[in-house]
Amino acid sequence: MFRHIPLILKNSWRNRRRTTLTVLSISVSLCLLGLLMALYHAFYLREAPPWQARRLITRNRVSLAVPMPIYYRDRIRQVPGVQEVMISQWFGGVYKDSRDPNNFFARFAVEPEKLFVIRGEIRVPEDQKRAFLAERTACAVGRRLAERLGFRLGDRITLKGDIFPVDLELTVRAIWDAPDNDEVLYFHWKYLEESLPPARQGLVGTFSILAERPEDVTRIAETVDAMFRNATVQTRTETEQAFALSFVAFLGNVKAFILSIAAAVTFTILLVSANTMAMSVRERIREVGVLRTLGYTPQSILGIILGESVLISLAGGLLGCGLAAVLCAVVRNGPIAFQQIRSLSVDAGVLATALAVALAIGVLSSAIPAWGASRTPIIQALRHTG
Amino acid sequence: MTEIVIQTRDLDKEFRRDGFSITALHRINLEVRRGEFLALMGPSGSGKSTLLHLIAAMDRPTRGEIRVLGQDLRALSDREVARWRNRHIGFVFQTFNLIPVLTAIENVELPLKLTHLSKKERLAHAETALRLVGLADRMHHLPRQLSGGQEQRVAIARAIVTDPDLILADEPTGNLDAASAQEVLTLLAKLNQEFGKTIILVTHDPHAARFAGKTRYLEKGELLPEGQVPD
Ligand SMILES: Nc1ncnc2c1ncn2[C@@H]1O[C@H](COP(=O)(O)OP(=O)(O)OP(=O)(O)O)[C@@H](O)[C@H]1O
Ligand SMILES: [Mg+2]
Repeated sequence: MFRHIPLILKNSWRNRRRTTLTVLSISVSLCLLGLLMALYHAFYLREAPPWQARRLITRNRVSLAVPMPIYYRDRIRQVPGVQEVMISQWFGGVYKDSRDPNNFFARFAVEPEKLFVIRGEIRVPEDQKRAFLAERTACAVGRRLAERLGFRLGDRITLKGDIFPVDLELTVRAIWDAPDNDEVLYFHWKYLEESLPPARQGLVGTFSILAERPEDVTRIAETVDAMFRNATVQTRTETEQAFALSFVAFLGNVKAFILSIAAAVTFTILLVSANTMAMSVRERIREVGVLRTLGYTPQSILGIILGESVLISLAGGLLGCGLAAVLCAVVRNGPIAFQQIRSLSVDAGVLATALAVALAIGVLSSAIPAWGASRTPIIQALRHTG
Repeated sequence: MTEIVIQTRDLDKEFRRDGFSITALHRINLEVRRGEFLALMGPSGSGKSTLLHLIAAMDRPTRGEIRVLGQDLRALSDREVARWRNRHIGFVFQTFNLIPVLTAIENVELPLKLTHLSKKERLAHAETALRLVGLADRMHHLPRQLSGGQEQRVAIARAIVTDPDLILADEPTGNLDAASAQEVLTLLAKLNQEFGKTIILVTHDPHAARFAGKTRYLEKGELLPEGQVPD
């Protein structure tokens, strides 16, 4: 088979324009497919990084928008295996002009002294940490966010409340680093609580739990939810990773969406390249007859034609994966709505799958014409014109 | 007595098309001896190509027996037939039929790719064959960079590169001008005389037939008896 590679190469480059167009159309489709798979991977298949694997989120069973009583924190703290529990309150609000999506970022009211325990992966200079802990209106912002919006230590940030009927005046006292999820602003929950009218006090949107060991998270989630099963306010506890995914689910059935687009793309490109291969095989039936006269068997003819088709689609596949990798890098470093996107990449798994799809397209698209050509009686093949 | 390399007995070939049956060859009894140079003549549609195809095992007869080089062709499987043809038959077409994307030497190398020869040996053989047809200086030319006569000589080199016992040429000069035709015929005569190749040459051209040692005629699918010339 390897001896036929020069012929395969030359055959594939015979009609340059057609081959180029085929490679390009396969590469565009496989780029799209690669992106979709990378997206799927980032959302559904990525393993939680070690620092995230121990974290859980508890929220109201009814809805994220309905809060829970604050004393739940101390009951959760009692569950065996729980190392720490922190109030974590989403503060919507508006920063500057809300019409600019750049001004949108996550703001959380937390218990500052626990923050660096729960998110142990956060790195922050000791003096900044102290300054953040000491001041009631201090806030700590992630590096990426600080860079995006130009925040510096000492800057004042005003957040206009929307869900909460208060405006907050914050001062940047710490800029921290973390391997992911670093477009967040944290401030003191006490400050928020004291600014609220009494009727709105004593309630919390979510609790952030740190388990002692990653193996415990499932059991802890079950225990916590069981504890409040008969209470007026029931809870729903899940891993931080699953919790983050539930936001993606707001968009609808993303999983089915991604998979169905991927299937449609694959099917379309299969038809396109099947058509192209059928054309180039038809043009060469006569040469097939010549090769058969020289003693080539139908099997080797089949191999030569399939080889050409596979070569073209693998070239398209590689190019497409390259394109997808570039696009992933662009998306990853742009402003994003979901943290999972930060891990968007064409990794070995995605690459292998995309190339396997390309291989399958190569084989399937030419299987029928190749089979037909290789079985055409020699005499008939030699009489073929066109 | 020299060895008989081709022997047919009551060979029939019918083509079925749209329910009709066309008899292309009828009761052909042909004997060809080793080292013969036979010209096969006859009007268009008389079955010359069909007979050549049966001898080359490119097609199968409807009835009758055919032994080529001692081999009963009907006994071979499709796979064995391909291998047999590669080893023993060199076929030359009217329309040259070179692979357009391959250079002269690559075209000549093609049949050797099915053998156990190394790349180096294959190229050496191909070069020898091209030298023999006088195209040592055109080895790396593509078919479209060659004249018709040169293309046909490359095709002959491709046909002889495996050192076959039998060379079958179907109107090899049909698409050539007189000078190129002369070159090709001289070459075939040389292969016959100097290398002892058995050759069957199908032609319409009485001048071409004069290069052969013997001429047989086909008429309406029947082979005229030896020595008989159609009126
Ligand atoms: N594949 C085929 N299917 C049907 N009929 C065929 C086929 N091949 C040949 N024939 C018929 O068989 C007969 C002999 O054809 P053949 O090609 O052998 O003639 P020929 O002597 O080579 O003619 P020419 O000088 O024109 O090449 C013709 O009537 C032809 O139409
Ligand atoms: Mg003919």
